[in-house]
Amino acid sequence: MRAKRFAIVPILLTLACKQPTPAEQMDSIVSWLGTAGMAGDAWLRHTTPDKYTRQTLELSSQRLQEISGELLKAPPAKIDTAILDATLTRSRAHIARMARLVDERNSPGFRRELDSLRIQQKVVRQIADGVESAK
Amino acid sequence: MHLIRDVLDKKMVDREHCDMGRVCGLVMHVGESSQPRITHILIGGPTVWMRLHPALGRLSTRLAGMWGPRREGAVKIPWSRVETIGRDVKLDVEARDTGALDWEIWIAKHIIERIPGGGSEEAE
Amino acid sequence: MKKILQITLGIVTSIGGFLEIGSVMTAAQAGAEFGYQLLWALLLGTLCLIFLVEMSGRLAAVSRHTVVDAMRERFGFPFFFIVLVGIVLVAFMVLVAELGGIAYGMQILTGIGFPWWAIPISLTVWLLMWKGSFSLIENGASLLGLVTISFMVAAIRLRPEWSSVGSAMLPSMPHGDKARYGFLAVSILGASISPYLMYFYSSGAIEEKWDRTYLPINRFIAGFGMTFGGVLSMAVLIVAALALRPQGIQLDTFPQAALMLTTALPKYGFYFFALSMVFACFGAALEISLAIAYFFAQGFGWNWSQNLKPSKNARFAFVYTLIILLAGIPLVLGIDPIKVTMMSMALTSATLPIAIVPFLFLMNDPIFLGKHRNGWISNSVVAIVIVISFVLALISIPLEIAGA
Repeated sequence: MRAKRFAIVPILLTLACKQPTPAEQMDSIVSWLGTAGMAGDAWLRHTTPDKYTRQTLELSSQRLQEISGELLKAPPAKIDTAILDATLTRSRAHIARMARLVDERNSPGFRRELDSLRIQQKVVRQIADGVESAK
Repeated sequence: MHLIRDVLDKKMVDREHCDMGRVCGLVMHVGESSQPRITHILIGGPTVWMRLHPALGRLSTRLAGMWGPRREGAVKIPWSRVETIGRDVKLDVEARDTGALDWEIWIAKHIIERIPGGGSEEAE
Repeated sequence: MKKILQITLGIVTSIGGFLEIGSVMTAAQAGAEFGYQLLWALLLGTLCLIFLVEMSGRLAAVSRHTVVDAMRERFGFPFFFIVLVGIVLVAFMVLVAELGGIAYGMQILTGIGFPWWAIPISLTVWLLMWKGSFSLIENGASLLGLVTISFMVAAIRLRPEWSSVGSAMLPSMPHGDKARYGFLAVSILGASISPYLMYFYSSGAIEEKWDRTYLPINRFIAGFGMTFGGVLSMAVLIVAALALRPQGIQLDTFPQAALMLTTALPKYGFYFFALSMVFACFGAALEISLAIAYFFAQGFGWNWSQNLKPSKNARFAFVYTLIILLAGIPLVLGIDPIKVTMMSMALTSATLPIAIVPFLFLMNDPIFLGKHRNGWISNSVVAIVIVISFVLALISIPLEIAGA
């Protein structure tokens, strides 16, 4: 009986370490793209300090890399992984350039990169909606 | 009087209304031909931990011997010193003289007063 | 005049006790992921808290006992010890989270990582406890905490559909992940109904020397003060629903939450958020530190008062010094305060029955309260709270695993 009671611990740990589903991973990707976009908008309106904006953009890029790496190892069926991979790569590149432009205080250049990021964001959202509806 | 409801775990105060801790235990004398009567109030860590488990009481006694004011045995206050039992148990004693505040004084002198701004335990 | 000024006891309890990192993050996550759907959980939590706080003030004013005093005397040491372990363990985790909330606020303001802020923040909290009186802590925290009104201003400026807000005050089936919805509901209730609030409030009433003449004031503070806090929490949820949800943002990290007020308050919203977190968590950290120290001191019958010099209540001062020191360590080691927050919310739910069942017995005990015992309304609300908290305790841990 005592042994059975202790067995609950590895079971709980296993459950706790369960992998997120592809839909959950797509939601996280949408979330981090949204974060980068919103941080970018706020910086252009002079609402947020440079350091915070750069750190948030870097964090967004890092998280996107981690999640997309996991997602593309086992991508959901019925999505074009090449398009997804290319879109996410371009998104990370835009975010990285945005982070550099914050330091240079280059608002026009930053705005261009943000507009391009928004386009990638729309593509990712469409893919995410497709994954959601395929559940 | 209900000993458990009215006395045990009640807060004690001395003549000056200084807090003395809580009634942790009671000593009862059971004579062969006389009625059982309460003889002492017990105060102190080992007494109260003993109520949880005897092993914890023994551990508390051992630790109290290694660190702190190093008192031998629990603080015992004669039942005859109990003046009134109401919201608190009022005792006709000086808290400092009974040993009930040994830990308070020890921590004040050895830890609190060594930190700037801690004040002095003896200062009015 | 003194009685009117003492209404701030309720304000600091509501702001410091309601708006803190747990309530902000859970309300913000709820708004970002489910829109207005979890407003009912905030409403229920607020209602429960109003009754519990009023009861703890009434117990103190009538019996001249704090909740902990009464619990030790009524139930004895062995039971008290069980409550002590459960409540103090969870309260300590919440203290770590609050210090982390202050540290995160400083991180987003300065760009310097939160582990670097752990020591200066712990020192500042400790210094205020060491040198400050109860009324300094009370009034200072309540004044600084008023910056959290920015959430209410932002919520109004974002122009929510008030009819949708109103209809969300009733529970509804979630559009989305049910496990996650349940977990957030549990977390919101755990964040709202914090037992340490009762202990702090009743201790404050004794510090302020309340008697039966304070009963009407007590009801006003409980009703108005807790409602104020509850409305602020709802404002956080509404702002997150309108500012973050359209962007698809789920709040995994604190820096994301800092964007919440930038839409409604373009000029200073970011700074209002950071300062709100710093001051609200500061007030909560002071409250929790005091509550834990009160728990030990009152339970063991030591001298205790925030208005005495530390050497005059050495064991009380030693306890809060030790716990503040220990609470800073996880932050120095870089442990994420958000993870500590979410875990502590679920554990709060699990320990609520331990705190509230004995409290219900106390509130019906004629020895302590005489004719001021609970009526059927108060008993019913507390009984419902016990049932909800017991259900929360059963489901919160598996939901945390499935939903977190």
